[in-house]
Amino acid sequence: MSRAISVAGVSLELEERGEGRPLLFLHPGEGLEPRREWFDLLARCYRVIAPLHPGWGNSAVPNWLSTVDDLAYLYLDLAATLMVENAVLVGACFGGWVAAEMAVRDTRQFAKLVLVDPLGIKVGGVLDRDIADMHAIPREEYMRLAWADAAKGERDLTELPEIELAAIARGREAFALFGWKPYMHNPRLKRWLHRIDVPTLLLWGERDGIVSTSYGEAWRAEIPGARMEVIPDAGHFPHWERPQDFAERLVHFVDSN
Amino acid sequence: MRCWYFSEMAYHPAWEAGLQRGTLRVVLPSSNFDPPTAHGLLNRYLDEFALCDEVGLDIMVNEHHSTVTCMTVSAPMALAIIARETRRARLLSLGTPIANRPDPVRVAEEMAWLDVLSGGRLEMGLVKGAPYEIQPANSNPATLMRRYWEAHDLILKAMSTHDGPFNWEGEFFQYRSVNIWPKPVQKPTPRVWMTGMSEGTGTLAAERGHVVGTLLSGGTAKPMYDAYRKRARELGWEAGPDRMAYAAVVGVGATRAEGLRRADQIADYVRTAPVVAEQFTNPPGYNSIAANVAIMKAGPRAHRIVKDRQGNTIDHRKATVQQFMDTDTVFAGTPDDVFNQIRLFNDRMGGIGHLLFFGQGGFLDHNDAVENIRLFGREVAPRLQELDAQTVAAAD
Repeated sequence: MSRAISVAGVSLELEERGEGRPLLFLHPGEGLEPRREWFDLLARCYRVIAPLHPGWGNSAVPNWLSTVDDLAYLYLDLAATLMVENAVLVGACFGGWVAAEMAVRDTRQFAKLVLVDPLGIKVGGVLDRDIADMHAIPREEYMRLAWADAAKGERDLTELPEIELAAIARGREAFALFGWKPYMHNPRLKRWLHRIDVPTLLLWGERDGIVSTSYGEAWRAEIPGARMEVIPDAGHFPHWERPQDFAERLVHFVDSN
Repeated sequence: MRCWYFSEMAYHPAWEAGLQRGTLRVVLPSSNFDPPTAHGLLNRYLDEFALCDEVGLDIMVNEHHSTVTCMTVSAPMALAIIARETRRARLLSLGTPIANRPDPVRVAEEMAWLDVLSGGRLEMGLVKGAPYEIQPANSNPATLMRRYWEAHDLILKAMSTHDGPFNWEGEFFQYRSVNIWPKPVQKPTPRVWMTGMSEGTGTLAAERGHVVGTLLSGGTAKPMYDAYRKRARELGWEAGPDRMAYAAVVGVGATRAEGLRRADQIADYVRTAPVVAEQFTNPPGYNSIAANVAIMKAGPRAHRIVKDRQGNTIDHRKATVQQFMDTDTVFAGTPDDVFNQIRLFNDRMGGIGHLLFFGQGGFLDHNDAVENIRLFGREVAPRLQELDAQTVAAAD
């Protein structure tokens, strides 16, 4: 079900399904896509709480809210408001960056962390592009990089109702707001990843052309005890492209001791 | 009507390379650029600007980045040279893309310096900048207009404050001590110009009394001018033609055929300027949500066209001179033809006070450019100046 909740003066739209252990899911820059299969697969096992990042839904981002730091504090407040305990924090792509920013600050309400092809850290030198410049390439090239099978991601926008198109436009604007410069990362985040003190799983699409598996290795090396699993035949969005495989690996990690 | 000669100082030798690559901007490498050739072109273009002073035209300069269509990378740098080579012409910078500039105080300093150097001849455009300027500047498109207005307010305060220093602790810009030297000749600041293509821009410009300019499409210009006039009336003042500016290609010749030929060559600028890799044409946040919804509904590439006066769609990249004349993008022919076309256009727009005259578009050679400037300056511009007096007399 969808509902709205006010946190720190911000009205958040939430998609919530399932029962059991709370799982806070932070969505990619492309959006939440709750109608895809992944959501129900997770909701069979957990109480999935998936906020739309401010701007990605039906309301504009408040002017004061403009950084990933703000989102991290906002979702820590959300977790406190919902009084989740022993929860699982999951973030994909841009949402993975936000989840990592939360986890370096405060993990009191979370027992496990899953990062799915996260953006957010700088690994290479000044001339290295760790994260593909999604805004400087043609749409077809972006689709080729982001999906193992680009056809699975294609949508005919001309068929969508205006309210959904407005949400897409707003989401694209918000993605730029939070990630334009430095491009989709926080130059200081890598330094603080050692603070993450909950078991962490990195899930990575084998054919992710936005952030490669070697970028994933850099994440793994910085987070104490982190494990990484590579999902075959998936690109940047393995939860959309290989939902069964994604859900099985996630559940196995979360439910193991 | 005042007439402002304008050239982007194109590097047309690389246009073909850009067309082949599908973009003349952002990602066309400078391996396509030959400095000795450009040395000749830049000096030639500056000579053409200097000629305008002799024939009684005012002068406009703009800037773009990472492109073969425009070698001017800094409007104040070009105007600094032109200021020294002219005596009477007013000098319009249209303008500095202030939301893409990291340091608004530096902009204020440069504008004040230019105003002093030119003896108070500066007109100061503070512009949003084209969408494809976002990538070379790496400025955040989602906060572009908030940054624009903060920079705008800071620049005007810096230029008009003479008991400084003052501090500025804004959302985007922070200074502990703003106290610019020199201060401008014109008080409180040189006249401010904005550019736009929407009614919203017309309204915002009216609220500040700035001149508003648009280019190359009468169909877009009219609603913006009307929005300006309406907002001014709501605020209790009547916006005259001196607040409205319009940029068009002008080709004048001794014969109609010669004028059309010159316009056709200059119009190559209009044909090439929109050739930009798709991903740089609409950065997220640059256009409104409503505009983006319309673009998505229309499907890929459907938004890059304008309509002529009969409502037919015209693709700027391929249009003929006649089609350009039907969209008010081009005025061309003999001096009489051009005067009459602009007079009718002026009537349709409800009175515009400034014509920004694209008189150089690359392959037009120096002799043609000079003749075009001379004919326009001597035989068209004086009659357009009188047009204002007639309009005012008719209104009385």
